[in-house]
Amino acid sequence: MIVAVLFWVFSAVAVVTGWLVFRTDSMVRAAYWLMASFVSVGGILILVGSDFLGLILILMMAGEMTIMAIFMVMFMMNPAGLNPMTMVHQHRTAIVSGAGAFLALAAVGLLAEFPDRPVAAGVDATVELGVELLGESMLVFETAGVALLAVMIGSVALVSKNGRYGPADEGSVEPTLEVEES
Amino acid sequence: MEVALSVVAVGLILLVSVYLVDVADTAIGYSVSGMQGGVASWKAPLVTAARLMLRRRTETERPDREAWALAPPLLGGLAAVALTAIPLSAGLDVADIPVGIVLFGAAMIQVMVAVFLHGWGPNSVFPMIGAFRMAAVGLSIGIPFSLVLITTALPAESLSVGVIIESQQDLWNVLRQPLGLPIYLVTALGFSFWGPGQLPDGADLAGGTNVESSGPALLVWRVSRAAVLVAVSAMGTAAFLGGYLGPALPGWLWMVAKTAAVALVLIWTGHRIARVRVEGTVRLGWLVLLPLALVDVFVSGALTL
Amino acid sequence: MGLRRRLGSLAESAPVAVFPVVGAGARADVARLRLRPEVELVDSPRHADVLLVAGEFVPGEVPGLAQVHDQLAPPRGTVRWGERLDGLDPSTPTIGTQDEVVAAIGSVASGLYRDPSISESPLLPDVDPVDWLGVGPYGHGGTGMTGGTPYGRPMVERAPDRDGLELDQLPVTVGPWIGSLPPGMTIHMKLQGDIIQEAEVLELVAGPYCPDLFTLALSSPQRVEDMELARASHHLVWLGEALRVHGLPALGLRALRLSQKLGPDSARSVRRLIQTVRRSGIFQLALRGVGTLPDSGLDGLGPVSRAHGREDDARLDEPAYRELGFTTITHDGGDAAARWRQRLGEIDQSLDLAGRAGALTAFGAGVVESPRGRIEPEGAQPSSLLKGRLAVWLTGLEWGDAVTTIWSLDLDPITYLPVETGARQ
Repeated sequence: MIVAVLFWVFSAVAVVTGWLVFRTDSMVRAAYWLMASFVSVGGILILVGSDFLGLILILMMAGEMTIMAIFMVMFMMNPAGLNPMTMVHQHRTAIVSGAGAFLALAAVGLLAEFPDRPVAAGVDATVELGVELLGESMLVFETAGVALLAVMIGSVALVSKNGRYGPADEGSVEPTLEVEES
Repeated sequence: MEVALSVVAVGLILLVSVYLVDVADTAIGYSVSGMQGGVASWKAPLVTAARLMLRRRTETERPDREAWALAPPLLGGLAAVALTAIPLSAGLDVADIPVGIVLFGAAMIQVMVAVFLHGWGPNSVFPMIGAFRMAAVGLSIGIPFSLVLITTALPAESLSVGVIIESQQDLWNVLRQPLGLPIYLVTALGFSFWGPGQLPDGADLAGGTNVESSGPALLVWRVSRAAVLVAVSAMGTAAFLGGYLGPALPGWLWMVAKTAAVALVLIWTGHRIARVRVEGTVRLGWLVLLPLALVDVFVSGALTL
Repeated sequence: MGLRRRLGSLAESAPVAVFPVVGAGARADVARLRLRPEVELVDSPRHADVLLVAGEFVPGEVPGLAQVHDQLAPPRGTVRWGERLDGLDPSTPTIGTQDEVVAAIGSVASGLYRDPSISESPLLPDVDPVDWLGVGPYGHGGTGMTGGTPYGRPMVERAPDRDGLELDQLPVTVGPWIGSLPPGMTIHMKLQGDIIQEAEVLELVAGPYCPDLFTLALSSPQRVEDMELARASHHLVWLGEALRVHGLPALGLRALRLSQKLGPDSARSVRRLIQTVRRSGIFQLALRGVGTLPDSGLDGLGPVSRAHGREDDARLDEPAYRELGFTTITHDGGDAAARWRQRLGEIDQSLDLAGRAGALTAFGAGVVESPRGRIEPEGAQPSSLLKGRLAVWLTGLEWGDAVTTIWSLDLDPITYLPVETGARQ
């Protein structure tokens, strides 16, 4: 009973805060409304028994949304993100893609056949998750992990001021491949 | 019924310990300054709270009212949530969930959000700088903070705080993982923004995120900050100092005594160690603490295998 | 009403939160007020119950005072430490000792706790400085993606930051009374994040300079013992204020307490304090490498100059000091850490000199070495030699480092008026 009530509360909060992301006038508030939405989803995850995933989602989103807010504030022509600004742009594209995504997801929800395999009591979801990550799916996850790490290192190298051929702001140019005739 | 009871219990424990933190802070301040405190420190929290309760709150030009009003109770609530994961004695905890240490970590990282919103709310310069400082500090020390905590789960083979405490029957983690507690305490000062880690509310910002706060809101903010200190002290005790384990005395007494000792160390540090520069904190986090925390993980992991 | 009254009677035994507004000649007195357990000096007017207006002001400063007054959350009260000031209406001006001021603060505060309705009303009308021009419920209906000019102010210009990105500059004014800056200093600056991109430093124009021992020494010889004790005391007051800004208020109180009853026999407790300061890690954590000054134009700036390795000290030419075997202490580096080490060393040295000086006298004509540097008859105060250059040094610093730099220079950001023009009506 309590679980059902909590589920509907979390769902409602997740949807309403998700909607508020687009109704607010400040980048920081938008970021933290989005976080509130994710926190509610984390609550739902805890309700369905994956405590670890739910809490990790809440933990990660605090950092992610703060970083997102900082970057938005940094790159907007808006003093410290303090001036109000609209969060909705390119209305037609947004409406079409939003409605499309909603219909697709709704179709999946209504038409797909979900497996019905109740988990035996006493199974620890966290242990199962660990076994899955470092067992059968290890190759997939490790490949993705190493690829992401490579992307991160690559992007840091790209934005670094001191490149292979000298400081970027001094107009570094790759040396030509032609061998100089002597 | 049981839930309501535990909520009340956690609230009471927090209020009492916040009171004691303030008494200890005042008393240590008196002793460092060489002035006579005496009974004054026992009354100090009460009379100061009464003084703040009598004042009205102030308005700034176009504040973010919701964020500003929400941040102080959010901070206190996060401290309470973090505390629920920690057992007071064997089997006596509010949230006996198998991933308690992750719950604690999640609550602590959200502290960064609460402080950021508190600085964002009033639409004023110094609070704003304080908010961004907290983001810089939190993102720099958050990873080593989480890593050393998670490392204590390796010998226990569980993320439950109770099991982690039980795993220290033979040897406390402070000896088994010698890097753990020092890194934890340094980063805990940052997350409870206390003493050398007092960057978001530092005196160079004339109070940082609470420059514009007054009255009850300021009171709640100060209480919540002390509550976070209590929460990190209790977790330091549970993860590294054997929690409620100890001879002769009942478990809860050991837990309380050890937590008080950790809290006193942190409070003492606040009066004796100067505030760190922002740049110094960021360097410390990424260049010193993160590699050391990784060494801690790898060495402890190898030893556990 | 019962609860309210009970809270009021509890609050009466709490230390009164006081925000100090300091004019000419009151700085050390106000700093030492921190030693009284009955009051708690706060850094922000929002945290205060009572506004303390101390020292001399010129009439032009009264609007600024009114603005600070209105920032106190009600119920609020004002206490004037000094003579009556037109435009400000505290019930009773207090002229007198610290005890009388503390008593006045206490009685104003307990009156407010008992009956909040006697709170002083705002002195200025409560209106936005600029009209709100935002359109629609969220204010972003103006022109452009960022909503035009909802605050009625133009958008800020952009400028390259230290990483070469084009980012906004936020124009900000701080001061003249805020806990993190020496009283009287106003900084107009353009901030990018917390980096100062452009700064202009203004001083408070306030009443006449109150003569101290060192200005007296310009015209008549003074006892070396008195002067050296005054020098040590000055540096201890500086230490007390600077430690507070660096997050060590309790240690700062210890320095202030020592400054109050300083004698040659306090050398041991002063040395213990200095030891504790060194162990606080402040040099490594906060001061090293911050605020390094250029090597030129520092002549006559006393400790600031000596922290650059120069033997710049008017005491070297005095027979009395030569008799005592006086040599200057110097430090290298010229950063905030060197200036702190310099002053800590000079406190110790001054106490030593004072202990051995006996009846020797020095100065009396020409130049005098004051704690802030060399002073001459008709000359400006040494710290005003830094005016104008400070703005350049602050440029490019983070706010925290800027505050460190400012305090390490021991500035007195007040422009003193000659007695005639500074006189009150």
